[in-house]
Amino acid sequence: MALRSPIRRKRDGTFSVDLSSAERDLLISLADQMETLLEQADPTLVRLFPSPYGDDVERNEGYAALVVPELTERRLAALQVVRSTAQATQLTEDELVAWMRSVNDVRLVLGTVLDVDESGIAPPDDSPDAGRYATYEYLGMLLEIIVRAMSR
Amino acid sequence: MTAPMEVREPELGDAENLDRPWVVIVWNDPINLMSYVTLILQRLFGYSKTKATQLMMQVHHDGKAVVSSGTRSEAERDVFRLHEHGLWATMEQD
Repeated sequence: MALRSPIRRKRDGTFSVDLSSAERDLLISLADQMETLLEQADPTLVRLFPSPYGDDVERNEGYAALVVPELTERRLAALQVVRSTAQATQLTEDELVAWMRSVNDVRLVLGTVLDVDESGIAPPDDSPDAGRYATYEYLGMLLEIIVRAMSR
Repeated sequence: MTAPMEVREPELGDAENLDRPWVVIVWNDPINLMSYVTLILQRLFGYSKTKATQLMMQVHHDGKAVVSSGTRSEAERDVFRLHEHGLWATMEQD
């Protein structure tokens, strides 16, 4: 018998969510940390705000001034949805999209900090990065579950 | 009565620039999940799973793929939505 996915689409278009309280607490903690980084415009957020115009410095600066604040607001709004629905056993599609985007954002920041490459080699257990890497791996699994639940 | 419209003299090259569409490019990165990139391309552009998967594989193997094209403002909107979803997107005039 196949294992039931912890996040599943229901007939009414909403999603059932069966996560442990430890997982839900982790999501809230990560959302809080992510909000702090966004409010401080932390340099580890570089992958969240790519420069769209190649080496055109002037247009990239315009984008940073005009568009990045709006992108930041969208990210903060998604994090707020994660916090307010972290204990929910049922999510609307919009709420699950907010979860998905937020989980992906945290993965991008952790992947940047850990400087991951496509080799998928984990740092050794006694490395100071081991805990962060475990969180990165967990979020990859959670994201895969969310993507499968939403895919058609 | 409305005031006569002020007509801006076209600058040299404007006509040519208007004809050339902007393309939106998604670049490969080692962090984003392949399944996630495929789902986002489906959701943002309405692509079939087959087409979105082909584009994702092109990003994965070639390092980049053109995912949409259009006017400058259309390309800017697409880049914004891709950045909102954490994909590494740029735009350039074709």
